Amino acid sequence: MTLGGETSIQARTGDPDVALAAAGDTSAFERLYRTHVVRIHNLTRRMLGGQEADEVTQDIFVRTWQKLGQFRGESAFSTWLHRLAINVVIERRRSFAIQRERMSDDAAALDGLSVKPARADLTVDMEHAIDQLPPGAREIFVLHDVEGYKHREIAAMLGIATGTSKRQLHRARMLLREYLSGG
Amino acid sequence: MGVDVHEEWTDQLSEYLDDELDAAGREAVEQHLRGCADCRAVLNDLKRVVAQAQTIPPSPLQADLWDGVAAGIQGTGRKGAGVDAAHPSTPVPFRRRFTFTVPQLAAAAVVLMAVSAGIAWQIADRSAQRAQSTVAAGGTRTDNGADVTTAPVVALERDTPAGASIVQVAYADAQYDAAVADLEKALKQGRGRLDASTIAIVEHNLQIIDQAIAQAREALSADPANSYLSGHLVEARRRKLDLLRRATALTSDTN
Ligand SMILES: [Zn+2]
Repeated sequence: MTLGGETSIQARTGDPDVALAAAGDTSAFERLYRTHVVRIHNLTRRMLGGQEADEVTQDIFVRTWQKLGQFRGESAFSTWLHRLAINVVIERRRSFAIQRERMSDDAAALDGLSVKPARADLTVDMEHAIDQLPPGAREIFVLHDVEGYKHREIAAMLGIATGTSKRQLHRARMLLREYLSGG
Repeated sequence: MGVDVHEEWTDQLSEYLDDELDAAGREAVEQHLRGCADCRAVLNDLKRVVAQAQTIPPSPLQADLWDGVAAGIQGTGRKGAGVDAAHPSTPVPFRRRFTFTVPQLAAAAVVLMAVSAGIAWQIADRSAQRAQSTVAAGGTRTDNGADVTTAPVVALERDTPAGASIVQVAYADAQYDAAVADLEKALKQGRGRLDASTIAIVEHNLQIIDQAIAQAREALSADPANSYLSGHLVEARRRKLDLLRRATALTSDTN
């Protein structure tokens, strides 16, 4: 675990900025940040909701900086970063899990009684609709349908059974179906 | 209602769509689908949802977050060579504001997740709103003549991108309390028009929000300079107004 690993990281990833950043080059790290921040922020926002996305995104990049030395180039840097981001999001969410679930189920029920959004723009609708999902269903929907992870992988990341992942995904899709069809 | 009747089938449609069923399960679903237009319609809807999710375009950031990241990575001891990068042991000062373990904060964060996103708010200056008494959208008036628009809830735009343009206004306690009192009064008067489950939802949420407000205040009194906490407090109070406003709106809608 010394700096001797850097050259091999560079050799394997082909991205000199990864190795430079791992060696302490903040300019290189800023370039990495700029390359990846939109994707990470989108992931974070969709999984956690808009309010926390900025802070959590910053947290993710700070941790990325701290952990760069552990990156061995066994996968693409973007894949490694993405997994790190998901772990941070999951960790963040776990600390609030119970209260949040309780609250947002109620909120979703209340939303069912209130005004549906305008349907002018399907994309905005989809973002908005995802944001309205109960957190458990939302993160699985984002991981599976938006990010393309398999139930097996999601189950491992979240520490749940694949059956639970499947049920929550279906629940999310059914809620979104209802929401997007406008009622 | 068809959905309820066919629930045992619709419940399998995501797995069917994702090709997660075994051969026998798939065959059974297909057989049902051949004879059931309702379930075929649900399947088509689910396909649409998945297709939309897969093609959802990235949306740009509202703000450049780099400065915060840069502040966070200072002091990690990783600047320059010679540091064992695999074991960054120094905690980052920047992260202190994220390392809340206080239960109060959990409650406060709950509030952030509640109700709906994409709402742009503005709390009017009390004198101004007294003068004009305006609600831009979702303006409500209860049937018993209580004018809910006296609450300083001015603009509600549902189609604002999530997280965008939330105007956080440091409004005075008195102003806020008056708004809440107005809405609470209107809600109380219109309560008879709501069904029991709606009342339960509203009250349950109000209770959680009130608790979050109290806890955020308590945490703030211990750490007054904490902007994260004060943001939570503002947000919790905003949620309360929003919830009250929406609940009050329901008392007139549901008639
Ligand atoms: Zn059917």
